[in-house]
Amino acid sequence: MVELPPLTPQILLGLTAIVLFGIDIIAPDTRKNGLLASVSAIGTVAAAATAVWFLAAGSGDYRFVQFDGALVVDALSLFFAFVVASVATLVVIGSYDYIEGEEHVSEYYSLVLLAATGMSLMAAANSLVTVFVALELASLPSYALVSFLKTDRGSVEAGLKYFLIGALSSAVMVYGISLVYATTGTLLLDDIAAEVAGNQFGGVLGLGILMLAGGFAFKTASVPFHFWAPEAYEGAPAPISAFLSSASKAAGFAVAFRVFTTAFPLDAVAAVAIDWSLLFAVLAVVTMTLGNFAAATQNEVKRMLAYSSIGHAGYVLMGLAALQSGAAEANAFVLGASMTHLLVYGFMNTGAFLFVALVEYWDVGRTFEDYNGLATRAPVACVAMTVFMFSLAGLPVGGGFLSKYLLFAGTVQAGFAWLAAIAAINSALSLYYYSRVVKAIWIEDPSDDLSLAGTPTGLYTAVVAAAVATVVLLVAFDPVAQTAVHAADVLFAL
Amino acid sequence: MVGAFDFTPAIPLLPFAAFLVAMLVGHFAPRLLPKGGAIPGILATAGSLLLSIWTFLTVSGGSYHAQDIYTWVVGQNTFSLHFGILVDPLSAMMLVIVSLVAVLVHVFSLGYMNDEGETGLPRYYAGLGLFTFSMLAFVVADNLLMAFMFFELVGLCSYLLIGFHFREPGPPSAAKKAFLVTRFGDYFFLIGVVGILATFGTARFVAVGDGVHSFPHLAEQALAAAGGEGTMPEHVAHFLDVIGMNAETWFAILGLLVLGGVVGKSAQFPLHTWLPDAMEGPTPVSALIHAATMVAAGVYLVARMYGFYALLPTVLAIIALVGGFTALFAASMGVVKDELKQVLAYSTISQYGYMMLGLGTGGYIAATFHLMTHAFFKALLFLGAGSVIIAMHHNEDMWDMGGLREKMPVTYYTFLSGSLALAGIVPFSGFWSKDEILYEALIYGAGDSPILLAAYAMGLLAVFFTGFYTFRMVFLTFHGEPRSDTARDPHGVRWNVKLPLVVLGILAATVGLVNMTPVAELTGLHIEYLHQWLVIPEASDFAALGYDNYHHLLEQFAGYHAADIGPLAPGAVSLALALGGAGLAWVLYNVDSPTEHTEKLGGVKTVLYNNYYQDEYQVWLAQGVTLPLARAADTFDQGIVDGVVNGVSSVSLFAGSRVKRIQDGLVTHYAALLTLGLVVLLVAFGLLEGWF
Repeated sequence: MVELPPLTPQILLGLTAIVLFGIDIIAPDTRKNGLLASVSAIGTVAAAATAVWFLAAGSGDYRFVQFDGALVVDALSLFFAFVVASVATLVVIGSYDYIEGEEHVSEYYSLVLLAATGMSLMAAANSLVTVFVALELASLPSYALVSFLKTDRGSVEAGLKYFLIGALSSAVMVYGISLVYATTGTLLLDDIAAEVAGNQFGGVLGLGILMLAGGFAFKTASVPFHFWAPEAYEGAPAPISAFLSSASKAAGFAVAFRVFTTAFPLDAVAAVAIDWSLLFAVLAVVTMTLGNFAAATQNEVKRMLAYSSIGHAGYVLMGLAALQSGAAEANAFVLGASMTHLLVYGFMNTGAFLFVALVEYWDVGRTFEDYNGLATRAPVACVAMTVFMFSLAGLPVGGGFLSKYLLFAGTVQAGFAWLAAIAAINSALSLYYYSRVVKAIWIEDPSDDLSLAGTPTGLYTAVVAAAVATVVLLVAFDPVAQTAVHAADVLFAL
Repeated sequence: MVGAFDFTPAIPLLPFAAFLVAMLVGHFAPRLLPKGGAIPGILATAGSLLLSIWTFLTVSGGSYHAQDIYTWVVGQNTFSLHFGILVDPLSAMMLVIVSLVAVLVHVFSLGYMNDEGETGLPRYYAGLGLFTFSMLAFVVADNLLMAFMFFELVGLCSYLLIGFHFREPGPPSAAKKAFLVTRFGDYFFLIGVVGILATFGTARFVAVGDGVHSFPHLAEQALAAAGGEGTMPEHVAHFLDVIGMNAETWFAILGLLVLGGVVGKSAQFPLHTWLPDAMEGPTPVSALIHAATMVAAGVYLVARMYGFYALLPTVLAIIALVGGFTALFAASMGVVKDELKQVLAYSTISQYGYMMLGLGTGGYIAATFHLMTHAFFKALLFLGAGSVIIAMHHNEDMWDMGGLREKMPVTYYTFLSGSLALAGIVPFSGFWSKDEILYEALIYGAGDSPILLAAYAMGLLAVFFTGFYTFRMVFLTFHGEPRSDTARDPHGVRWNVKLPLVVLGILAATVGLVNMTPVAELTGLHIEYLHQWLVIPEASDFAALGYDNYHHLLEQFAGYHAADIGPLAPGAVSLALALGGAGLAWVLYNVDSPTEHTEKLGGVKTVLYNNYYQDEYQVWLAQGVTLPLARAADTFDQGIVDGVVNGVSSVSLFAGSRVKRIQDGLVTHYAALLTLGLVVLLVAFGLLEGWF
């Protein structure tokens, strides 16, 4: 019997991207949006299913080292491969309607798939080189995707800004990598860990680590590397915003989790170079506070979601901030909670952006006022949106309640009650702006000329599927959380 | 074998079914409902009565019953909350009283409501059914929390029924008043229930079975331990440590808190003001709720947990004094009332005062006895009044009546039977029970507890007033010449009014014979059946609920000792006073054309007419004290609490708009800020970690 290679999910994603190119080469001039969307969806679903299958079969209990340690497959990489692939599935299904009628459709799908490949590789990267390459593989298609609507000024502007900030951040990160290499003489994460303890160039190493963290902060849209996010999310096609704010963020966290826990063991690094859990605590507080406060004053729903996405990055950062040396169990718990939140967030946030995509498809408008009374015209989608909003706020209608609860509880358990308290205050504030959307769509009266053109099947399917997944995660939360905590366990069991 | 106890849960549930039928069928298919719901109600309460009698007979055979029905909160490492049934002599007796009066009131309602062409009958009978259910469930409750829940439900039904004629101005107002005033007392009761659960970890009245405790028994152990015998139960000791009080003080506080509910429900001073107003409700409701049963709930509750109160001499003294004072106070107000039902209302307050006096002075049997006799004769009097009101076309003013004796003999003679019982004339039932209460107060007062003598004195004085207002009422209503056209030609009443009157009339006359203490003393015969009924053999699991145990507790903990006084002389004194009052009424009012004599009272008259300004001062309390306090709290809430909340939100929004301004759209600014932020982090961590 042939064994599948451990990197099957990533390979599937990459192959699908190539197949999409192939289709375009064979039939460049025919309209084939449906075919391309189907192929992409099959590819992403297959990748997600493989990841789940591997996890269920217990492959995640071991570390399958690939390419001499450049990549590694374990529970963490499979978990995030699933998150990325499932978000990508929702995104390509939603995109079917959204980019219908645009030029270069096949490039769109293959770029999405390539970005997804890069993101899932980020979760498997085990050397600073592959970290960087995977990160760029995820970033470069993203830049192109953000400016996909070439005739739309906003989209092009957003893509350019994203690219410039991204280039700057990449530069910072590469510099950080070079400093780490200079002090430790290796790029493999496991070997770096061996060199860190008692390192005589503590200052330089600390500098490198901090700059490396900057690169991850860019990918996860954390302060102060967040500036691109509101602009890019707002300008990009809404499905791409969904993709970036969910999958890309998750991948950024995946690689950060692995690099910091594997290469820079906290007790050794804190002694010589930098207490990075403190660094992440600072970033977490600033990020969640800035994200939520800014979200509260936005007038446009999509921009509000962009800031709320920053806020959620702040919550997830608590998973790194609350780590402490020598408390393996508490560490695994809180890190697992972070991962769980990312998974749940993947569904509810993607769903929310896809709802925005749906509204953009209808050409209704972007502000809260424009959303007034939508429920009278599209009740099903509005129920889904309500689930997303309340779940994001942490009310018990979706998995967001439990994952947030788990995250806060883990943080408190790890002895960071003050951090959890700040997060709770932020979370309370977030209820304000999330419920503004709910109020607009359900309570306010629609304007007289509100009429919605058509019911796009793909978008509806994606939105409803995301809503169902969000609600199901409330009920079937336990296996997910256990898988996540187990993945964190495997990570710490080195 | 299937015994009566298997059917005990059905006793309350049957009226509940009647309630559902009356409500649902009455709402969806009113045509299908016979007599507007009266028939299902009568059938259900009759079924309850039969089952109650069966239960009663089983209990007389010496078997008692306690059972958990349903645990609705299962405590992990703490107490659980459950519904359960407790059938002992006290509750068995009460079951029979309540279901009997309920049946008779349902029958009477046929005449009072259906025959008078009232509308909204399904609502009326649904209310009666729900009330009967709640009261019966309250009676069989085996723990204080369940008792509280049904106590509240009873209060709700009272509200619904008083406000039955909700389109008129009076009834809704009276209903609200009744609800609010009793709620005020129940508030303390609720705190008491929580306190008892917290202190003892259980609210059961009796412990039957392994690993089960009852709070009166735990309290007894705790107090004994405080006095140097035995050990303090762990849970109680721990709780007392937490609150830092000794057992005696804390238990007295708990007892008084629960007593708050009792004072409200049983219309004791100072929470009695709702009851006279409650007469706005239909008269059968007054009979069922505001005389025989609901008002009895308070007194019954004290009797139910007498094992707890018997430990607390201070609380007992307060109960006795409140009771004695209420008895006298209410009786004095009844003297000047012009309306038939008002007189009865004040007499009800007064009579419940006697029961409290009895309980407070250690006369557990006497109070229970009076609870029973009063239920019958007061229901009779109210139903008789209802009959008169039907006859008088709903005019209740006694000065418009007179001479009804010839026109409605059945009503007259039954009413007279009830009045003789109320006034306490031998051998009618009220004499025996009231006399026993006063006797117990006297002997324990003359024993070691002189404060009880004050309560006794008030109770004794009230006997005179009782005799007077009772016969004033009888003479004004039935004797003399008719003073109005309606009185000359009253409306006739049918069998459905007369039947309940006759049944109750016979009972009012005879039920006192079950416990003729003076006769027993005199003749040496063992005819104190009620006494024997309430004694539970020591071997039984239920001995803690028996009179012997209570007596023992009273002697050991409350320091009550009986002085050696025979029952005859005190009985003669109270009989003489009652006859004196009745005689005065005879002289003043048993004439062809009686006139008002209230002018002779001078200034007292105004005070009495205004009910000692009780309403006024309570309204003042509400308007002059509570309202400003509420306003101050509101100001605090609006200004400070809301101010903080609003302040936080405006600060958040302001900060948010600042953040928004940083995001100005210029990518060069972003790059600069990003770099700046990185540098700040580098410098800060560099300094912190000592890189430089």
